[in-house]
Amino acid sequence: MLYRTAGQYKTTYRSDQALFPVRQDAILLMVVLAFGWVILPFTASEFVFQTLLIPVLIYALAATGLNILTGFAGQLSLGTGAFMGVGAYACYKLVTIFPEMNLLIAVLLSGFFSAAVGVAFGLPSLRIKGFYLAIATLAAQFFLIWLFEKWAWLYNYNASGAIQVPNLDIFGWYVAGPLATSTTQYYFVLAVVTLLTILTINLTRGALGRSWKAVRDMDIAAELIGINLLKAKLMAFAVSSYIVGVAGALFVFMWRGAAEPNLFDIELSFRVLFIAIIGGLGSILGNYLGAILIVALPVILNTVPGAFGLEIKSATVEHINVMIIGALIIFFLIVEPHGLARLWQLIREKLILWPFPH
Amino acid sequence: MRHFTKLAIAGTLAAVTGGAAVAQELFLPNLSYRTGPFASTGTPIMNGQRDYMIMLNERDGGIGGIPVNFEECETGYSTEKGVECYERQKANALVTQPWSTGITLQVLPKTNVDQIPILAPGYGFSPMSDGRTFQWAFNPPASYWDGAYMIMDHIADGDMSNLDGKKIAFLHLDHPYGKEPLPVLEKLAAEHGFELLPIPVGLAEMQNQAAQWLQIRRERPDFVVMWGWGAMNAGAITEAVKTRYPMDQFVGVWWASHSDDLQLVGEEGTGYRAISWSMPQNDAPVMDDIQQYVVDPGESLASEEERSEVFYQRGLVISMMLAEGVRTAQEMHGVAEITPAQLRDGLANLDITEERLEELGMTGMVPPFSTNCANHTGHSGAWMLQWDGEEFVQASDLLEADRSVINPLQEEKAAEYAEANAPWPVDESCNPS
Repeated sequence: MLYRTAGQYKTTYRSDQALFPVRQDAILLMVVLAFGWVILPFTASEFVFQTLLIPVLIYALAATGLNILTGFAGQLSLGTGAFMGVGAYACYKLVTIFPEMNLLIAVLLSGFFSAAVGVAFGLPSLRIKGFYLAIATLAAQFFLIWLFEKWAWLYNYNASGAIQVPNLDIFGWYVAGPLATSTTQYYFVLAVVTLLTILTINLTRGALGRSWKAVRDMDIAAELIGINLLKAKLMAFAVSSYIVGVAGALFVFMWRGAAEPNLFDIELSFRVLFIAIIGGLGSILGNYLGAILIVALPVILNTVPGAFGLEIKSATVEHINVMIIGALIIFFLIVEPHGLARLWQLIREKLILWPFPH
Repeated sequence: MRHFTKLAIAGTLAAVTGGAAVAQELFLPNLSYRTGPFASTGTPIMNGQRDYMIMLNERDGGIGGIPVNFEECETGYSTEKGVECYERQKANALVTQPWSTGITLQVLPKTNVDQIPILAPGYGFSPMSDGRTFQWAFNPPASYWDGAYMIMDHIADGDMSNLDGKKIAFLHLDHPYGKEPLPVLEKLAAEHGFELLPIPVGLAEMQNQAAQWLQIRRERPDFVVMWGWGAMNAGAITEAVKTRYPMDQFVGVWWASHSDDLQLVGEEGTGYRAISWSMPQNDAPVMDDIQQYVVDPGESLASEEERSEVFYQRGLVISMMLAEGVRTAQEMHGVAEITPAQLRDGLANLDITEERLEELGMTGMVPPFSTNCANHTGHSGAWMLQWDGEEFVQASDLLEADRSVINPLQEEKAAEYAEANAPWPVDESCNPS
């Protein structure tokens, strides 16, 4: 009833290939975007910005990057955390070497550094597949973390070995550093994430995206129908690492404010991988749903006992939290092994038929 | 739908009553870590801090007649969780106790904006002791740089020139915390002609330091100085015993003085030393009060054995410093319900004398010290503790760091920090005599 597609005729190829052939999808997206761009910024508190909105967007972007590689092109990667680190360190070096540079440009440029590193570590993918490739990316993870620790030039010879985000402004507005307000940072992140998400959706629908899917489904068949494996795989590594690198720069500059090398450790890679898997491999929406489940849910659960006035020790809350999140992950994977995005797709199909199931 | 309405009402009610309760208490939150990889070392300190505050509430009705709300927020030593906790508490918090160098680094730049003092006793960024630059950060009673100097001074028998030609290995966690004393050690090495051999231990290899100790065995350093935390200390100590490194040439920082780590090796660890600005005093009057007001009613989370150890009693000292800061602020401003800015004044005018320690029943638990607006550390000095096979005992008189060596370095690093974080306000009005 609400989601009735009957009567929406497609009379041209153009309208059939639109981003949202069903009108309700477009409306729903508009509502979500209105929420993100207008309603939330005016209603959210500092706490909501810093612990829910900004991290969910950044993690979702990182998962989108990984999803291009793993979900669309079928190349398993365990080096996401390190690639995020490359983006963050590149951005740090850019803004410290060129203090006048607009941060938006620095963030978007820093992705190219991680893209280059990603391509270098993606070269083995031409010869090895599956778990073996995962090991190669794992090597990238360990090597890069080691490099962040040992190469003092990267952190400007700071005695503590950590990088600290300076106060940076764009046309007089502080966007990074302690003087920046959460609202400004949120809009900055939202703008970058929206831009890259639109790009990614179109990229995955286009010729490049289709060649990735062909490689994922069967690379020999893809090669036989004329897809250049070298180009497709390396492009997947480049695009994926670019987005992951931008997410890493945002991660440090827009949210954390400081970073030590072990921040980009394998735990971060796993976290992003979990978001991509639970959200749904090969889906863009899934990254957002996964990020909400993995990043935002623990924060919300933490506030539940307090909201009911229950006196539970915070260490106990933490233990319970870990158990609940673990149980939920298992629950969702049993109910829908293809991730939350697939769950939404099923709900949507049911809604289209509802209330008449035939 | 009705269900959700109920939920919403319950939530609002709780928020309203919670908000009302805040008005009559001193909200002194703690970012604790009783879970995660460092829980074994964090828990006793957190227990000590908590018990001292409970004791004050039960015995004196709080500080200045206002009860203390010593809420813990669990971080598991994760920076991400720490920031979540910080954001959650900052609306009402009088103080931030970050409990990890990572969280300190992240919160430090925000202090000028949020105007909540950071209390990081004996940890954090050493140049924080420059109160003119770091107006909102306090690390009493001694900084890592003090600690590094005192260790070197002690192993040189009070005369650094004795170290000429010696080889000193610096076994440290490869993390901002472990790297913290390097500038001082490098400076001392250059001045006094000893060879400094930094040996980093990665976070992943804390429990298996075979490679590092192989290097130590090959290099045969005259001393090993350790800057370790959590599982790294136990790993290093067992490895040192295994490779038969002479324990009396092995010295740790104050966070490497956890009795449990040494109980693993017991007798074999005899001779191991650690510098410490706190010392357990089991017959101090404060311990009786803890027993009477906290342990007997069943409020304490610590076992009897734990209460006699270095870390638990250090937790007591840390809470004492915070409580004294609150008391000083109350006296200075003549109000009982202080604001974060007033607490900053209190912490910047701490005066922990021998007499005050006696009044508090804590004689000998910490050396006397005082802070001022330019000196946020106090530089109390410290004692050397030594493991006698069963427990830590005092092995030296009070050691003190020569600040004339450290101050230029501190000024340089503080200025560097202010420059990197420009615009950064520096308190020019502060000129203590």
